[in-house]
Amino acid sequence: MIRQSDGVSLAAIIKPENVIFLEGALSKEEVVLRLTEKIFPQVSGLISRKALFDRVAEVEKLNPVLESGFYIPHAKFPELDEFHAVFGIVPEGFVDPATGLKVRALLLLLSPHKPPFFQRHLNMLSLLSQTFQAELIDKLAGLKDPAAAAALIRSV
Amino acid sequence: MVLNPKFKQVFILSTAMLTFISFWKAAAVVLCDMGSSAFYAGGIAMNAFGPAFPWYILAVMIFSGLMLMVYVESCAMFVRGGVYKVVNEAMGHSMAKISVSALIFDYVVTGPVSSVAAGLYVSSLLYSLMPLLHINWHVPPNLFAVFFAVAVTAYFWRENIKGVEESTDKNFKIMMFVTAVGAVLILWSLYTVYVRGFKLPPLTLKFTPESLGWMANFPYLQTIGLVGIFMAFGHSILALSGLETLAQVYREIEDPKIKNLKKAALTVFLFSIIFTGGLTFLASSIIPPDLIGGKYLDNLLSGLALELQGPYWARLILQSFVVVSGSLMLVGAVNTALVGSNGVLNRVAEDGILHDWFRHLHTKYGTTYRMINMVAITQIGVIILSRGNIYLLGEAYAFGVLWSLVFKTISMIILRFREDLPREWMFPLNIRMEKAYFPVGMILVCLILITASVVNLFTKRIATISGISFTLVFFAIFQISEKMNRKKAMFYAQNENPEEKLNLRRATDIVTVIPELDKPRKILVPVRNPNNLLHLLSVLETADDTTTDIVVLLAKISKGVESLGESDTIMIEDQELFRSVVLMAEKYGKTVKPLLVFSNDPFYSIAQVAQAAGADEIVMGVSGSTGAEVQLERLAMAWGMLKKADVPAKPLLARVVWEGRQMTYQLS
Repeated sequence: MIRQSDGVSLAAIIKPENVIFLEGALSKEEVVLRLTEKIFPQVSGLISRKALFDRVAEVEKLNPVLESGFYIPHAKFPELDEFHAVFGIVPEGFVDPATGLKVRALLLLLSPHKPPFFQRHLNMLSLLSQTFQAELIDKLAGLKDPAAAAALIRSV
Repeated sequence: MVLNPKFKQVFILSTAMLTFISFWKAAAVVLCDMGSSAFYAGGIAMNAFGPAFPWYILAVMIFSGLMLMVYVESCAMFVRGGVYKVVNEAMGHSMAKISVSALIFDYVVTGPVSSVAAGLYVSSLLYSLMPLLHINWHVPPNLFAVFFAVAVTAYFWRENIKGVEESTDKNFKIMMFVTAVGAVLILWSLYTVYVRGFKLPPLTLKFTPESLGWMANFPYLQTIGLVGIFMAFGHSILALSGLETLAQVYREIEDPKIKNLKKAALTVFLFSIIFTGGLTFLASSIIPPDLIGGKYLDNLLSGLALELQGPYWARLILQSFVVVSGSLMLVGAVNTALVGSNGVLNRVAEDGILHDWFRHLHTKYGTTYRMINMVAITQIGVIILSRGNIYLLGEAYAFGVLWSLVFKTISMIILRFREDLPREWMFPLNIRMEKAYFPVGMILVCLILITASVVNLFTKRIATISGISFTLVFFAIFQISEKMNRKKAMFYAQNENPEEKLNLRRATDIVTVIPELDKPRKILVPVRNPNNLLHLLSVLETADDTTTDIVVLLAKISKGVESLGESDTIMIEDQELFRSVVLMAEKYGKTVKPLLVFSNDPFYSIAQVAQAAGADEIVMGVSGSTGAEVQLERLAMAWGMLKKADVPAKPLLARVVWEGRQMTYQLS
């Protein structure tokens, strides 16, 4: 079953090529930086590298880690017309300095900064928080392969 | 409790939505205050009675274990088992006012003693570093410490006015860092001792005329060995500060509470013995006596780092770490003192013994700024008057520490004979009587405390004069305030509108409240600031009272010691907020259901209450710090996280309202 909520779907944004496994002991900043590197090719024609990295670095400090241990750093750009995302799995996990929560899965989400799109943006955030609960995160952290991870997410 | 049906009710959800902390974090919070004395207690004791000081610091640390047990028993009786609550329960209102005055004196001096100590440590580091940078540094350490202490106090004064919370996570990180630095210091000291040999400090006491105080007039008393021991003990007792914090963090400790509290107390005890006791011993063995009494008197651990065996550059690096870790801990204690004193003053104000003038809320930040101003200004005054003399401050500090502990322990002994106060744990060494356990162990502890306190009255002239004066002034303020408040209450009793009063009803879960929400439509209105209720106004203007339940929710951030007090009532600012809400609702002739929850994440609580109550709409005021879009994003994430996949949640409108604008979106 593919999760869909009022026009937003995880399958559309979480594809095997957008899933990245990050091994080793990494900090929150390092993980977000690696995800930003990964997402940049998706939006390189629309957003400058500096604008992307600056904005993500800014939201990285603002966006809270959820109680479930899932983290959604998200930024909105007027240049975009659709969602762009990279899904990160950190098997060792990292501890969020602000909350002390351990994060092993996160999704960097870029959304269009356009008033009509904001409803979809909220739906996407709600859907992501609903889907990525501790049990699924445990399963994802045990995988090794991006395709298997994407398939597991699609099957939820 | 019988509730007056005329009065509005505020539901307090006491167990829901609160994140509890582990015993490690609880111990870290206590140690951030108590452990900080390791940086100055040794020097002050050395100044008072000479090279025997490590024995007495160690004795005080062992004694701290007994006092921690007294606190564990008090927490086993009252969830908020601080001095005010316990003394009030055991010895009545007047004694509670005296004990709280002594406690406020403790808090008022904690800030200056900690910040001046931090200033002296930073100054010692600058003196080590400046010559290497070819900078000619001439500022006297005491003058630098005064400027540093005033700057630190002013910073936390401003932060507390803004209502910034204390974080247990920050305390935990600071303690991790301090522990790591302390471990290196201990290991390196042991190596130094291995190379140079270890010499136990002498037991002979050498009091100075200053540390003898009025006792100098009673030479025959000085010949009694036990009197001398208690004099030295009294000069070292300031190493015991920070115990009250244990009672404050107890409410936050995770289940099983008493078991975890005992673990936290044991952690605090072991750390204190090793860190404060052990390092003081090592310092006395490694640092030459003339330097302990000279240039390292105000910065003993900094001196220890510099006198270790090894290359100078490595010792300098260690000194830097010692100064940074010590300063973090000491500066944190400045904030704890401001937060703690504000908390205690708020509690006594709730009991009507502090004039309502002090309860006035800051228009922008909603904090009791007059109380904060009073404490911070007094602290800055104390810093300036002390001229950076840590010995003077430390001596005065011991007065508040000791007397609040004396009142507390006497009260705990009295409460042993109250049958209506069961407890999960008792201080050991008891004799079973018919209906009670006679507290032999606690009485012995109390005798030690009383003896040390009485001896201190004679040996510490400045502490006795300043402590008694301060306590009397505060006691007088409480007495006068109470009379004025009583008069005011009588004056208004006949004319006041009973609808302005609030009844507090406790419920363990939102489920208890839901049956009372029986109208077809439900609107949830989160509130926080009494000066930002425009969104509530918009709901009251448009909602149909016959078909709509309006739930006004205050999701109170409850994390860290600032939220912890000693009474069972809600904070003054929360009562003010709810009074404003009720008055506004009455103006529009609408019924509102006020609700208070404790939470570490307000959006999580809003979503949880909305889902449990089956709300149709959430109407929020705009937050000046984040903005409407971020508020909606956080709410959407909390909403999604709480949604059950197999239970279809009712779609909900989320609205943010501010001057002339609003944003409305659906959460599905």
